[in-house]
This record gives sequence, C-alpha cells and structure tokens, in this order.
Amino acid sequence: MGVCLGLAIAAHIASLPLWLTAVAAASVAIRLFLAARGLAAPSRPVKLGIAAASIAILFLQLRTFNGLSAGTALLSLVAGLKFLETRTRRDLYAVALIVYFLCLAALLRSESFWLLLYLIGVAWLTAATLLRLALSTPRHGWPVDLRYVGRISAQALPVAVVLWLFFPRFDAPLWQLPSERGNAQSGLSDSMSPGDIVDLALSDEIAFRVRFDGAPPPVAERYWRGPVLHETDGHTWRNLGPTAESAATLTPTGPAYSYTLSLEPHPFNWLFALDWPDRWSVPDGHLNADDTLVQGAPVSRPLDVSASSHTHVFTAEPLSATARRRDTQLPSNRNPRTLALAVELRRAHPDDLEFAQKVLELFHREAFFYTLSPPPLGANSIDDFLFDTRRGFCGHYASAFATLMRAAGIPARIVTGYHGGTYNPYAGYWILRQSNAHAWDEIWVAGRGWLRVDPTAAIAPERVEAGLDGALAAEPLGLGIRARVPWITDLRLRLDAYGQLWRQRFLRFNQVAQLSLIERLGIEEPDAEKIALVMAAGLVLAFAWLVWQLRREQRTEPTDPAVVAYRRLCRRLAAVGLARRPHEGAEGYARRIGQSRPDLAAAVEALCGSYSRLRYAKSSPEQGAELEAFVARARAYRPRRKP
Amino acid sequence: MSKRLQDLRRASGRRLRAWNARRHGADSLPLTINRRRIYILPTRFGLALAALLAAMLIAALNYNSNLALAFAFFMVSLALVAMHHCHRNLSGLSVDVNLESDAFAGADAVFHFMLRNESSLERSGLEVSLEAEQPARATASVPAHSDERLVLAVPVGRRGVHRWDYIEVRTLHPFGWFRAWTYVHASLTAFAAPRPEGHRPLPSAAGSGHAPLGETHGEEEFAGLRPYAPGVALKHMAWKVLARGGEPAVRVYTDLGALPEWLEWSALEGVETEARLAQLCRWILTCESRSARPYGLRLPGVEIAPGRGPTHRIRCLRALALQPGVA
Repeated sequence: MGVCLGLAIAAHIASLPLWLTAVAAASVAIRLFLAARGLAAPSRPVKLGIAAASIAILFLQLRTFNGLSAGTALLSLVAGLKFLETRTRRDLYAVALIVYFLCLAALLRSESFWLLLYLIGVAWLTAATLLRLALSTPRHGWPVDLRYVGRISAQALPVAVVLWLFFPRFDAPLWQLPSERGNAQSGLSDSMSPGDIVDLALSDEIAFRVRFDGAPPPVAERYWRGPVLHETDGHTWRNLGPTAESAATLTPTGPAYSYTLSLEPHPFNWLFALDWPDRWSVPDGHLNADDTLVQGAPVSRPLDVSASSHTHVFTAEPLSATARRRDTQLPSNRNPRTLALAVELRRAHPDDLEFAQKVLELFHREAFFYTLSPPPLGANSIDDFLFDTRRGFCGHYASAFATLMRAAGIPARIVTGYHGGTYNPYAGYWILRQSNAHAWDEIWVAGRGWLRVDPTAAIAPERVEAGLDGALAAEPLGLGIRARVPWITDLRLRLDAYGQLWRQRFLRFNQVAQLSLIERLGIEEPDAEKIALVMAAGLVLAFAWLVWQLRREQRTEPTDPAVVAYRRLCRRLAAVGLARRPHEGAEGYARRIGQSRPDLAAAVEALCGSYSRLRYAKSSPEQGAELEAFVARARAYRPRRKP
Repeated sequence: MSKRLQDLRRASGRRLRAWNARRHGADSLPLTINRRRIYILPTRFGLALAALLAAMLIAALNYNSNLALAFAFFMVSLALVAMHHCHRNLSGLSVDVNLESDAFAGADAVFHFMLRNESSLERSGLEVSLEAEQPARATASVPAHSDERLVLAVPVGRRGVHRWDYIEVRTLHPFGWFRAWTYVHASLTAFAAPRPEGHRPLPSAAGSGHAPLGETHGEEEFAGLRPYAPGVALKHMAWKVLARGGEPAVRVYTDLGALPEWLEWSALEGVETEARLAQLCRWILTCESRSARPYGLRLPGVEIAPGRGPTHRIRCLRALALQPGVA
C-alpha cells in the first residue's frame, strides 16, 4: 500500500511543494524501516507534532486549504503521515481511499493519455493490495492476484463504457472553475520589449492547433491576433487592459474562413483568432477595443473555439480623438535620432501610406538583418537598433516601425500574436508553437481603418512566407534548438496527430458529441428522455453480458478429462436411481452399486477402479493409455434402468 | 453516537435473522447456501468509497473532465462487479459442522467446519463465526472442486451448557467494499464440563471407598463372554469371535478389582457443589486414563451405568456439565 501511495503522489509531483513530497516519502520509508526492524511506530505525541508542524508549514506556504491543488497537497501529506500510524486494516483502507482520491484529482487537472494509463496501473495495484488485505493470509502470489483484478476490471469495462458514453453531461458548470494561474504555460504577455519574442522563438511548446474547415488562407494572411500594445516608454510597449471603448464596425471584403482552434492553457484571456474574427463559439467571448477576441476568464484549461474570420476588412468610421492621441504618444526624451529621422522623412512624404512605404523600403534597402541573437541595446534602444546594430528580431522591427510612424504623427500600434504554423499532414491541422510568436504593426489610414503592416516581411520575407525555420536556415543558433532530422519531425507530427485524435474523440466528448452519437444510433431528435432510455438499454445489455460472463466462469468444467468422464458416469448412474452419496469415494460407490444391482457390478467396478487408479495412484507411463481407455469406456457406458 | 449506531445495527441484525429464520426454518446440515439466503451490504470502507466517487463524479461533470469521468465511472462499475463477486463467493458453498462439542470450563469448545466447494471457482476469504457478536472467528479459502476443514475454537466460560442459535458465514472478498453474509440456522451446543480439579483419592471399587486403584492389575482370569455394550475398551473385545462371523462380544474376567467402580456425588459430602463436580471430573479422567476397570457415575437424579471408552467418558462429562449449579 505504501508503494501505491507513493505512485499516486508521484502523479502530483509537479504541482506539489518539493519538501512535502520529501516528508511523505520519508514517513513511508521510516515506517517501512521500523516495520522491517520489528520496531514500534513512533509515539503519539511525536506523530502529532510532525503532523501539526507539516500542516502549519503547508498553510504558511499556500495561504489556503481551499481548491484542488491545496487539497491535493494536504491529502498527500496526511496520507504520508498516516503511514507512521499502526498498520491495522482500517488504516490501510483509509490510505487506499486517499490513493483513489489522488488518482481522481490528478485526472481532473490533466489531459494526458499516459497519465491515465499510469493511474490505471496504480489503481490496479491498489485493488490487488485490497484483495490481499481482505484475506488474513494471502493464498496466491502477486501475479495471480493481479490477474484476478484484471479479470474483474475487464468485466467492469462494458458498464463503465456505457456510463461514460451516455451519462448526461452538464452544458454549463454548476460552479465556477477556480482559476489556477500557477500552472499556466509560457506565452505572449501583455507587454513587450524589442528582444522579448526571441525567448519564445526558442520554445517548441505548442500554443494552439487549428483546423480549417475548407482551404486555409494563404500564409501571408495567417495572422493570429493576440494582445495589442499601445503605451510605450520608448523601449517597452504595453497593453492598456480593458477599456470602455468599443471596436469599430468592420466590413469584410474577402472570403470567410471557418476553423477550430484548440488552445493550450495560458495565463491570459486572449483566444488568438485569425485576423479578423466575426463569429465564435465561446459563450462569453467578445472582441475588445483592439479587435482581439477575448473571453471573461484566463484560458486556464485547454479550450476549443470554433470561429470564422475574414482576412480583409475595412471601416469607414473615423478614429476617436482619444485613440488618436494615445496611438501617437511617444516619450519626447528618448530616441532623438529616430525622431529626427521621422521628421526628415515626413517632410518628403506627407502622405501616410507613402511614408510607411518609404520606411519599409528603408528597412529593405539598408543593411538590416533578421536574427535570433540580436546584440544588446542601450537606453535609446530604437536609436541603437536603427543606426548602430541593425540586427534584430520581429519585436525590434515592429517597435522601430511603430516609433517612426508615431513620430510622424501617424497613429500606430503593435499587435502581438502568432503567424504561420506547421501543417500536420497526418491529421490535417496546423500547429502553432511559441516559436511562431510574432509582432507586427497596424497603422490608421482614414477610410480604411487599421491597416496591417509587417515590417519583418521587408527584411526577411521568408519569415512571413516560410516561417521561422526558413528565415533562419543559415543561422547557426537556429540549428541547435530545432533538430532538422526529417524522420524525427515526421514522428513528432504523427504523435501529435494521435494526441489530437485522443483530444477530439475522448477529452472533448461533450453533450454535442453525445447527441450526435445517439443520432448515429438511429434515434431521431434525441432529448434527455431518449438519452436516459438509451443509457438504460445499454446498461441492461452490459449487465446481461456481465451475468453471462459470471455464469460462464462458474460453469467451467474441470479440466481433467478423467474427472469429466467420471462425473458423466455418475450422472448416468444417478439417472437410473443410483446417485452417488456426497461422502462416497469411487470404490465405495462401486461396491454399493454392486450390492444393489449385481448386473452392473462388473462394469461399474472396473470403471471406478480405473478412475481411482488414474486419480490417486502414482503417475506412470502407462497412465496415458489407461486414461484414454477409461474416458472412452465411460463415455460409451449406459447403465440399464432395470436389472 | 457510535454506540447508538451499533445498537441499531444489532437490532436490525436481530430482526433480519428472525425474518430469515421464519423464512427458512431450522437448517439441516450440510447446508448448501443458495442465493436467496445471502445478504450483502457495503462496508464502511465501501460507503466511504461511494461518497468519494459521488463527489468525484460531480466534480468531473462540472469540470467536464472526461478523463476523471472515465476513471470515476470505471470505479463505479468495478464496485458493481465486485459486489457480484462478493455475493458469488458464498453462493453454492456448502457448510457442515458438528452440532455438539465438549469442553472444559474456561477452555475452548472446538467446532469442525467442513466447507465444500463444488464449483470451479475458488472461494476466498471466508469467515465463520457462531452468532454475529462472537469474537471467535475462523477464516479459510476453498479452492475449486474441493473441501476445506475449518477449526473454530470458541472460548466457553462457566461450566454448563452453551448454546448458539445460528452460524454466520461471511466474506469481504474481493476488495473489502462489500460484506456478504448468510445465517445458517443450526443450534450448536457446547457442553462445558467443570475444570478437573481436586486432589482427593479415588474411592475404592464397588463404591465403598476402600481399595485404592491399581491393586488388581495382572490378577485376572478369563471367565467367558458377554454381549457387547458400548463403552467397552477395545482390548476387551472378543475379536476372534467377531472375525468368525459371530455377534460382537466382550471377554469377561473374574477379578474382584474388575467390578465397576462408582464415582459418587455422595462420596464428597460437605464439599461445595462446583468443587465437587470438579473433583468428580478429575476422577473420571483418571479412571479413563489409568485403569482398565469400568466406572459408573452417580449424581443427584442421574445414574450412569459403569462403562469405559470415549463415548462413556463424554456421557459422564456431559452429565457433570448438565448438573444444575447452586445458584
């Protein structure tokens, strides 16, 4: 049981404080050590002292015992300490309950197929332990008991499957999920300094997957919109947070693309829809003032969003004065050379679009480089970048471009999000990793609205067309982090495809999927009543199978052919009124028959004698032949009813 | 609270048993336990697990976590199957036991159970006790197609006759989540003879209290045969006669010392009742082990004709056990 507990706690090891795991492990180890030495468990005050101290430390660390992680931590601790207690059957039952709780708690927080397998193993072992615990002295070894548990589990499977498939699901949670920011993944944040996205570019973590219902838009239009940054101190750009403003009404011009996003958890509420979304399936999802699709709470659990977007939109509405002021704001005391450059260029190009075009041409014409290892920048970071280092990543170009635009009085903002993606041919969806994180700009053009400008495309068009790997093919650093071995890439895509299948078919099985399954069974317009009926029918079938299975097990005839033949003989004799008495051995039985029915005596005595020799005499080489003869004669023998 | 709960449990157990007894009547042994007389309820552990699973199901439904839901449903289903296994573990098992047992006060009365398993399934973790509250219980597992003997030693306190109205056979198999049990309504009796005590010498032959035991050894002469009566020592049987096909007979010897010895209640006048019985018990054991002479027992209202052998001894000891006490 100690082992089971250890394994169950191990499932939580990532989310538990390290010292707690150590305390639990130590107390199990101490207990096992004392038991092996035949020493008594520690005295009561010692145990209570340790328990009180550990729980106090835990509370000081977590500040709460409310919520799943804290509860799990507390229970792991208590279970570990429980082991210091005497090992009566009841104590071990308590530990078993905690093991089951830990298994379920681990599954509540995770979606991993491997974790499920692992915990099934733990539950299996626990059940075998319980099986042995119910006996005062175990009769069989572990393999036999584990097999037995396996058999019971197999018998339990159909009922479990029926329950899982047809048990009604809630369409909305009964109570709000506690948001757990602690275990969220890395990703985009609500602020950006020029070098920030470089860190993300080195990460292979998946941000989301997306499946297009039809053909995907061309790669140059696949911009997945995240937070929009307005405020700057000349170096760092920040998101404003929620504002009271509402987004301008966008009029679509291009075709609509519909798709399903499968988001991994991250600490914010952005949903990374394709620019620019017009419909989405998230109940509390909405577009904020920056046209970014957000929901009410952070994406703390994997989330599926069905949405559709137009890649070309415009608006004829004017920009509000507040917005214009905000999006042309620049600190006047930073980056003087950049400001001067903008003023100079602006004089030659009073038209906004022409000005932007000139800046892009500047990036393209001058010796600017796209790199994952940009040199460090000083206090006037844009100045340093534009005039000295000239080596940067998308963040550098986006901030430099936005700074130049604002210096020229053109409203500009930085949009961060993801771009491109890797296609998985095995399952037909795109994978967007953190390395696909990207930053680009939008400038305000009267009569058209916010217009996307991606300055990175001016320096490294491959980045926009072929993705990061293509853009960095010549860069030595890129090679280190992304193994470009084709079969490994291939294998990873295949595994990811299986993972997605598992998610779609198993993890995302919800009310909608349930209804469509029932419809596929040929039941039209399923409602709650029909689902209940289907479930009842399924359960009846499953139980019928179970009962049949149990009966079959019980009816299995003995395997020894001699016993089978002897039983048949006894049945035939019983049919003519000569039933064997329970206490009678084969020879005694034969003798009694001989006395009451002398006509049968010879045959029955020969058969019974042969049987007892086969069963009880020492085995010898001749037995094979005798067995065959016995079985044949016993089968052929038909006692007459009357002498 | 816990005590009241226990009382409630006991009371409901009594009512169930009474109903069961009315339904089935006294059972004749060996009894094959059929499905209609097996009761099954979750244990406290099982109830705790059920509560845990219910909570987990609600949590899993709320979080819409299909993984936890699958695990919880699997556990629910496993519990249902375990219930069947628990019930099946008793069903079809046949139980036999000796209905009477002899013991000395303060020692154990031993009942030999025979559990017979005709089926192809192993019956594991069976527990047998006399009545529900009896702490004495014995456990066994019976492999497929075989029998298992089970010895249940029940401590008996005072001298006298102890009766139990039923046997309880139960099992926690497989996981301890359910307890299946059955009542076998058979009246079991333990005759508790007094603990053999006292150092008074054996009274002499013919009940007069003279000749001490042992004088007559080796001075016997064959005098003829008399018909066999139970309780005769095997070495006195006329085996040759039996072998020739005659009626069982006993060789009779002429010897004054072979005259029956009477162990008399009245020989211990003035001794307290229990001590008297204890002394008589010691004498019976001594006669049985040391002497070849038959002995008889005279108690108030009881007279057991002289005899010898295990059956006779048991008769005498039971007579002692049945003697009314002072109170």
